[in-house]
Order: sequence, then structure tokens, then C-alpha cells
Amino acid sequence: MSLEEHRVVFMVVTGVLVLLVASPALSRLLVFPRTEFFTELWILDSNHRAEDYPFNVTRNHSYSVFLGVGNRLGYCAYYLVEVKFRNQTQSAPTSFGPVGDRTPSSLPALFNINAFVEDEGVWELPLTFSFDYGYNETLSRIEFYGLMLNDVALDMRGYAIAWNSTNNEFRGFLFFELWIFDATTYGFQYHERFVSLRLNMTGS
Amino acid sequence: MLREIMGFHIKLVLVFVASMLMVFSNCAGFYVFAVSEGDAAAAITSAEEKIVICYSAVAEADAAGANVSALLATLGEAGEFLSKAKWSHGRSDFDSAFGFANQSQDKLNGFVVDAEALTETAVKENYWDFSVNVVGSVAGSVAVVCCSFVVWRFFKKRYGGGVGA
Repeated sequence: MSLEEHRVVFMVVTGVLVLLVASPALSRLLVFPRTEFFTELWILDSNHRAEDYPFNVTRNHSYSVFLGVGNRLGYCAYYLVEVKFRNQTQSAPTSFGPVGDRTPSSLPALFNINAFVEDEGVWELPLTFSFDYGYNETLSRIEFYGLMLNDVALDMRGYAIAWNSTNNEFRGFLFFELWIFDATTYGFQYHERFVSLRLNMTGS
Repeated sequence: MLREIMGFHIKLVLVFVASMLMVFSNCAGFYVFAVSEGDAAAAITSAEEKIVICYSAVAEADAAGANVSALLATLGEAGEFLSKAKWSHGRSDFDSAFGFANQSQDKLNGFVVDAEALTETAVKENYWDFSVNVVGSVAGSVAVVCCSFVVWRFFKKRYGGGVGA
């Protein structure tokens, strides 16, 4: 049997050995590079599902949801969640359209939540809220006094919702805008996404 | 008799003063009296700046590959105090705003040092990881190829053109 006849076997064995020894290096070099960098923002119901959100709200009754942020930006991020409330006629934020053209609501934030999320990390906050409001019979509208958000009493005087005769409801939106800290401008910028809860204020 | 009564009164006053001193020295860390709007705003600004500095340090540690979960939890707590400080300031409760801003800053004492230590450890680990896993395995592969070549040459010399029967 000629030695030359074993050449192929010898080369295959050598090749397999080389691949085995080089596998730690290859596992680092042959990683598919990340091409999409983004942030996820979500709101889930009290069962951690996206199906049973609070809708018909009763005065001073507590409701629970989960607010979450997933960081896929490639770096540790400093987020700011602005909690806001609006009725149907007030300024709404946008999260669709060309990047850069999406705008936050012009309404002032009721409360700010700071969140620090590592790359590929997830941050989630259980939120419990209840509204204190009354019905103004003269003006036929709901007038708010306050919002209790995770044991923080927020002043909502000046907020009101008129009757929506089309949908037969006092429609309001509790929404959460996501802002991100920009190290170059040393300030927060609207991160062009928000989540919102559509609520119907019912009689107490 | 008069001297005894006066002595008793002096003792009473001394006991009262001593007890008041004890009460105030214990509570000094918790009570802030009449903080102005400016003081509260300044405390909030410095708390914000401290948070940004700490965030930069933790971002650097994260980029170096360190496990920053514990640091982020601390930063989150400091951020919570900052939120409450701003909320208190918004409702003109400057004492609370000042207190929360200080609590936010206190949470971050020694934070940057810890973050830098983590960064340093992560950089060292990355260096060893790179040396062993990348340089080591590439060198090992080259060594396997060289050894195979030497073995092949040895076999060729020893057995020439043919092996076995």
C-alpha cells in the first residue's frame, strides 16, 4: 500500500484537528454582525399579556399594567419615560413616519421615570394607577383632581374630558413617551416611540 | 433651702438642654429646615449631573464587557430619587425635593470607583480571553499544520514510496 494513497486521509485528519483547535477563534470571528439597533417599548396587562388592558375606569379604583423597555442599541442606554395624559383634542405624540419627523406631545409630563438599561437588557416596571375625578354637570365633562401612580400623588387639576357622543364615552389617554439621553447634546431627546392606554372614565 | 431649689432648677434646665441636644443631634440628618427653591433646584441639578457622570462610567464598563447589573440597579434607585425630587419641586415642596436630591447623590457615593474597577477587571479578562481563545487557538492551529507537515515528512522518509505488504 503506497504512502501517497494515505495522503488524503492524512490531510482530512489534519484539517479536522485544525478546525477543532481553531474553533474558539472561529466562534468569535464568524459571528453574524448586528445590523439593526433599536429600542423596544411595550405595555402589558396585569397578567403580563397584551389582551386585557384597563379600559372602563372607575374613580379611585386601582389598575395595574407593566411598562417595559428593551435595549438593542449596542450600548448601555439612559432612558427617560415621560408619563402624560391627554384628551382627544389635545396634542398627541407620533411614532410613525420618517425618522426625525416624529414628535412628542407638547403637554407637560405628569411624572418622569428614569431607566438605565444595559445592551441586550430589559427593564420592566409594574405600574399601579388610579384616577380621582368628578363629573361637572354644568359643562358635561369629567374634571380630574389627581392621578395616583405607584404611590406618587400627581396633580391633575386643569385636565378635563368632554363627552364623546360618537363613541359614548369620556375618552382619555394615559401615555408614556420614551426619551433617551444623548451624550453629545448632554440632554434628552424624544426617542420617537410611545405607548398609550385608551381609557373611558365612567361614573363612580 | 433656696440654694437647694435653685440647684434643682439648674439641674432641670441642664437635663432639658441635654435631651434637646440629643434629639436634634439624632435628627440632624433627616430634617432640613426651610430649603429655598434655589437650593432645591441646585441640589436637583447636581444630582442630575452626578447621575450622568455615573451613567458614563457604567456605559464604559458595559462596553468593556463587565457585568453591570448591580451598578444599574443602584443607578436606577438614584434615578427614582431624582424623579421624586423633581416631582416634589414641581409641587413646590422644596424640603422634600432637596432631601430626595441628596438621597439620590448619596446612593451614588463611590459609584464611579466601583464602575472603573469593573471596567479594569473586564479589560484584563478580555485581554486573557483574547490571548487564550483567539491567539492561542490560532497558534495551536498553525502548530497542528506544522506538526502534520513534519510527521508527513518523517513518514515519507521512513517508508519512502510504500507502506505495509
